[in-house]
Amino acid sequence: MASDANSQGKINADGKREIVMVGNHLAALAAVDSGCRFFGGYPITPSTEVMEAISDFLPRVGGTCIQMEDEIAGIAVAIGASMSGVKSMTATSGPGISLKAENLGLAQMAEVPLVVVDVMRGGPSTGLPTRVSQGDISQVKTPSHGDYKSIALCAGTLAECYTETVRAFNLADRFMQPVFVLLDATLGLMHAKAVLPTIEEVEAGIIPRKTFDGSNEDYRPYGVEQDEAAVLNPMFQGYRYHFTGLHHDAKGFPTEEIETCRKLIDRLFRKVDEHLDEIELNEEYMLDDAEILLIGYGSAALGIKEAVNRLRAEGIKVGMFRPITMWPSPEKRMHELGQKFDKVLSIELNMGQYLDEIQRCMGRLDIEKLIKVNGRPFSPKDITDKVKEVF
Amino acid sequence: MSMSTQLAAPENTPVWVDSARCKACDICVDACPAGVLSMKADPQSTLGANIEIVAIDACIGCSECELSCPDFAIYVATKQEFKFAKLTDSSKARQEAINENGYRLPTDYKEAN
Amino acid sequence: MAFNYDGYLRMEKMPTLWCWGCGDGIVLKAFVRAVDDLGYAKDDICVVSGIGCSGRFSSYVDFNTIHTTHGRTVAFATGVKLANPTKKVVIVTGDGDAFAIGGNHTIHGARRNIDLTMIVIQNFIYGLTNSQTSPTTPQGMWTVTQKIGNIDPTFDACRLVEASGATFVAREAVTKPKKLEKIFKQALEHKGFSYVDALTNCHINLGRKNKMVAAMDTLDWIDSITTTKKKWDAMSKEERLNLLPTGILHHDDTKDEYCDLYQMVIDAHQDNRSKITQDDFEKKI
Repeated sequence: MASDANSQGKINADGKREIVMVGNHLAALAAVDSGCRFFGGYPITPSTEVMEAISDFLPRVGGTCIQMEDEIAGIAVAIGASMSGVKSMTATSGPGISLKAENLGLAQMAEVPLVVVDVMRGGPSTGLPTRVSQGDISQVKTPSHGDYKSIALCAGTLAECYTETVRAFNLADRFMQPVFVLLDATLGLMHAKAVLPTIEEVEAGIIPRKTFDGSNEDYRPYGVEQDEAAVLNPMFQGYRYHFTGLHHDAKGFPTEEIETCRKLIDRLFRKVDEHLDEIELNEEYMLDDAEILLIGYGSAALGIKEAVNRLRAEGIKVGMFRPITMWPSPEKRMHELGQKFDKVLSIELNMGQYLDEIQRCMGRLDIEKLIKVNGRPFSPKDITDKVKEVF
Repeated sequence: MSMSTQLAAPENTPVWVDSARCKACDICVDACPAGVLSMKADPQSTLGANIEIVAIDACIGCSECELSCPDFAIYVATKQEFKFAKLTDSSKARQEAINENGYRLPTDYKEAN
Repeated sequence: MAFNYDGYLRMEKMPTLWCWGCGDGIVLKAFVRAVDDLGYAKDDICVVSGIGCSGRFSSYVDFNTIHTTHGRTVAFATGVKLANPTKKVVIVTGDGDAFAIGGNHTIHGARRNIDLTMIVIQNFIYGLTNSQTSPTTPQGMWTVTQKIGNIDPTFDACRLVEASGATFVAREAVTKPKKLEKIFKQALEHKGFSYVDALTNCHINLGRKNKMVAAMDTLDWIDSITTTKKKWDAMSKEERLNLLPTGILHHDDTKDEYCDLYQMVIDAHQDNRSKITQDDFEKKI
């Protein structure tokens, strides 16, 4: 159980922190190590263990965990806490993201930082609650109506269940919006050894929210440069402003003024688009001399890596590109790879949700695909067979 | 214990209005027991009307007008600052006439003795 | 000299966008007066509003303010309060926001008895979106979605919230602004989930085709459907049929408040030996 004595891990001979823990529990641990002091959620397979662990971790450090009456309340309560200035998180699976959509839009519009863990399962609808899929990739790009720019990170190893959650908190506070951490039923429930950064390393890397220290009269929370995120001071400290999902002015009050509305949406995009270097993260495995490019992410990448090793052992020059930040997508890098590689195979546990993006970035419609939607993971053999079949 | 800064008010006045804020809803006129208030025609205002103080000396300081104005348009002095009138039968009669005339003091109204 | 409301209002947002004669302004005034009388610091207060005419309330007051998605005020307010248990968190919402789409959250906020003050601007209609039926619109009244006449039964908001666990439940009308202000003070001071049903006139929407076109018409109707709790208690079932009792309807200071309960959780975790068991609670089911 997460509250075992070993929950902080031990330092190994190389000075690294080792811990044997379930993926979902690692996400909870990462949150608390990153300074998260509020969690609101609702049980849903296969994410519930995140809440179970954090319900234990948070009160130990004086934080709060509350299981609410439904998914919508689960995110609303976390957004409320975050609006007041406390680092907050929620966790769910695909059906929960669907329910949370409206409030995700509010967090985008009002620029409220929040980490949203989505442990993907078979869909659509009730689908396959205890089985794996990567079926929420499109959904987390635009879960809510209207125009905004999503940030979504996808853990592809057990350790990344921890490190990507840490990164998500930093990105959420840096860009003042919700950030998704995608796990799935495989990784979320994987129980194995992970090698993690130490708590000191995590704490050294924390980027706190920007705050304003002038007078309340001069304070303009949303009156920032066009490529910047809002500067939202914590509540109850002398700065009184307004949060709303309506279009709003520099102080947060509702407005319909033409230029103000145009600039607000423009800024919600530019604050991300002009700082992609701070958000993009990929893994490139054996690409240098490769002739075949495999693209995959999440737990599927575990099988892909093994497949690459096996194919290489047979002399087939194959390599893997793994986006870790799914949205915004690594458009430039994928475009370059599309120029370099003739033979590209996209591998995902859905009907080709990221394939659409890959093809868009590469400007091609001939990318091969390996898909699976029956709730089972890819075995390395699925992948090696497909590579041999199509190339 | 009040934290508010006291609003600077007209000297020695029981009740006064900020007519720019008045939306002519009639509520204060109805709330007054003493026939102090009336609506008057005002083509530049909301609904073509605005509040008018027609019998300032009859004000008893009950504050019902201030408390029931949704738009912060009418204010009553505190009892410490002003010696208010008592409620008289003629005030009540005037109030009834105002209420029955669509919250407007009839132009030919004769005060009772 | 007079009360200076301007110190509590965001003056750049005045005049309010509420219709002429809308009781929302009377609620705003009574609330501001209550806060002033209790001496709360502006920085210690958070006002959370929902969607509707009542939703605009939060933009008019100079506190920490949140305008949420439809129906979710109690959930957002719970987050603010739990993360800041020493601060005053107040909800101002409407009958549709609180009892239709938000019904579930209202019920659970009351169940937890978390220290929030929930003021519902009870105008028996969806006002902002122009006259749709709300869970409290009287049967037989005209609404845009039931032009032939509303068939939907209503429920009594106060009874619902009391049954859900609220420990302070009161109702008052904007026709009694002094009493309303007093109720707000008592609701704010009560530690636990405080609910105030603030009966308000929406003559523009509810009144429009229900023969209550002027503000005074709707206010007179509100007076005609209310009676004091004292009189209500003495009435027969028949006499009560078309009346709502006003005043403090329920007040219980004996139940645990949720932030205090959560402090028990924190204490138990930080002291590794202790657990919370059934023996810690009087009620065991």
